[in-house]
Amino acid sequence: MEGEKPQLMINGKRTDGRMPGDLRPIKIEVGILKNAEGSAYLEWGNNKVLAAVYGPKEAQPKHIADPNRAIIKCRYQMAPFSSLEEHNRSGPNRRAIEISKVTKEVFENVILLDNFPGSEIDVFVEVLQSDGGTRAAGITAAAVAIASSGIPMRDIPYAVSAGKAGEEIILDLNKLEDNYSDADMPVAISPRNGEILLLQMDGSLTKEQCEKAMQLIIKAGETITKVQRAALETRYL
Amino acid sequence: MIAENEEYILELLGKGVREHDRDRMQYRDIKIQTGTIPHAEGSAMVDIGNTKVLVGVKLDIGTPLKDKPDEGALVTSAELLPLANAEYETGPPSPESIEFARVVDRGIRAAGVVDTDALFIEKDKVWTAYVDIYVLNYDGNLFDAGTLASVSALLSARMPKYEDEKVIREGNLGKLKTGGIVTSCTFAKVGKNILLDPNANEERIMAGRLTIANDESVLRAMQKGESGSFSYKELTELVDATFDNSKRLRDMIKGAVGD
Amino acid sequence: MKIVLPGDKISDGPVRMENAIVENGKTYATVIGMLDDSKGTFVPLESVWYPRQGDFVIGIVENSKNNVHTVQLDSPFRGLILPPPRPRFGGRDRDRGGMRNEERQEILHVGDVVSSFVRDVRRESDQIILILERPRKLFGGKLVEVRPSKIPRVIGKENTMLRQLEDGTKCTILVGLNGIVWLKGGDAQLAQKAISKIQEEAHISGLTERINEMLAKGVQ
Repeated sequence: MEGEKPQLMINGKRTDGRMPGDLRPIKIEVGILKNAEGSAYLEWGNNKVLAAVYGPKEAQPKHIADPNRAIIKCRYQMAPFSSLEEHNRSGPNRRAIEISKVTKEVFENVILLDNFPGSEIDVFVEVLQSDGGTRAAGITAAAVAIASSGIPMRDIPYAVSAGKAGEEIILDLNKLEDNYSDADMPVAISPRNGEILLLQMDGSLTKEQCEKAMQLIIKAGETITKVQRAALETRYL
Repeated sequence: MIAENEEYILELLGKGVREHDRDRMQYRDIKIQTGTIPHAEGSAMVDIGNTKVLVGVKLDIGTPLKDKPDEGALVTSAELLPLANAEYETGPPSPESIEFARVVDRGIRAAGVVDTDALFIEKDKVWTAYVDIYVLNYDGNLFDAGTLASVSALLSARMPKYEDEKVIREGNLGKLKTGGIVTSCTFAKVGKNILLDPNANEERIMAGRLTIANDESVLRAMQKGESGSFSYKELTELVDATFDNSKRLRDMIKGAVGD
Repeated sequence: MKIVLPGDKISDGPVRMENAIVENGKTYATVIGMLDDSKGTFVPLESVWYPRQGDFVIGIVENSKNNVHTVQLDSPFRGLILPPPRPRFGGRDRDRGGMRNEERQEILHVGDVVSSFVRDVRRESDQIILILERPRKLFGGKLVEVRPSKIPRVIGKENTMLRQLEDGTKCTILVGLNGIVWLKGGDAQLAQKAISKIQEEAHISGLTERINEMLAKGVQ
């Protein structure tokens, strides 16, 4: 009902106590799935996400193969039990198909596909528990999984969303904020050159607010990248 | 596309020229016609160059979404019809068509084009507005054409009545209650060039695509597509370009719906 | 020595090396690896096998048609074993036209495990094809998958690790660079355990000693 919209900012703080530019805690563990060439388990706030990569292997079926480069197949999915609300039917819905597509496009940018003509690389993102920002969490985890596999890549991208609560620009929206915010803008970035690999947005942002959101996202990259690096390096220390 | 076309377009761009002598930031001719399908509550046909998109709007009785019990619903779908392009195939919706419909939907929703509060009838009974985007001929830039056609169809739609458990679709009807107007501008990155309103040849060789939807005052939706990337600087420039172009697009919609 | 990750700068200049790319005149790593700045070497810690002429590989015959065998190498590259050259004059002149013993090819069937060497890496219209030579059918035994980047550690410097494994387990071990290892006879279980350990701990120093210890314990 009108007016029941919860207040997202109270005395300058968010409902979970964060400041507008704060990230939720992020933890990544590499290599927990033994069958995959590379895998990563990520906890980002209450999100729990598994990412795995298989390949490169011969593209199947044969007619989808690209003679000049590897193709990427990507599947993002939310487990039926992942939400605090009702049971989600499993299987790809329209939202999942779109997220799979834009996730695939992020990795098409960074993986050296030309090295493996005629082959396919499979990227899987399974959201086990969801609390807002799962596509960003999935991309951040999958980037680490791919890096851990030895599949050559130009950079390790990260993703995070920014949005707007009232007139305040906030970083890394949780589910409640996601539901009631005035804008949501998930972005993936290649930290080496700052190029934007994923950009979606809906809601309401002025040009200045959009720029503020991008700046928060770029700043957050320093922290997220650190967590990704530590997860990868710790296996060899 | 014939292989030569690719080189031809790159060669042209090298000289700073586009096919049909278009400027980098110039739309092809745009035509909007409403009321194309009188059976539908609202409809619009949009041509951008050779791209041709038809949108039909139907209103039916449905149940509200669980999280929005006091509002009507909006359902946007897109079909890339096989007759629109030799490369489109029959079958379940492709990721491309799903992305297309969802991006158009987000713009419409975010800008409040449909007043969903006004679609509430009674408890557990609301109107659902179905926006079906039919791509009839593909020559690039479906996103902008789809948004123009959807908004035009919604703004020109009539509102059926619900009386004695019956839907009345004819006779003296009012208009569907609408709010703002959203339009989008789509840019393609081809080599180092950024092109507004890419045609099919340009889309086939583009590395990346960026769609920015706005209304008079704010950004309403954005979507980057394909594997190519954009820098922060490019993003801010394209946001400016979108605001520069959008007034004309809004005026075209207003003209077509007779506002 | 330091760990570098994909995207990390290896050099301010353009250096053509494996597992790296040059962009805008600078060189960046494309895989996780150890960079030795003083020597300018970059050794990958993880990598995908990329075939080279002469590589020893192990695979499974997947298809046989017209005496051409397709070999599945657990990689995106398809191996082909072509039919052996025919004797030119019906064997009339054994020295010139007949096959020498080592050229005579065993009859291969779908499902057979074969070892062979990469004779040629060909970029065909739709994928990369490896022409294989000197195929040898491997009877019995067990196949173990090893990450291709760890294969050099399983072999060791001048075959030291491999010899140590064979001596310690009395197992015959063939190591395919494509990441497939074949074990037969002796204590294959122990050999497999040791190989897993090498894979897990390849980056931790003192590996040789730990494997020695493990083999010594296992043998009793």
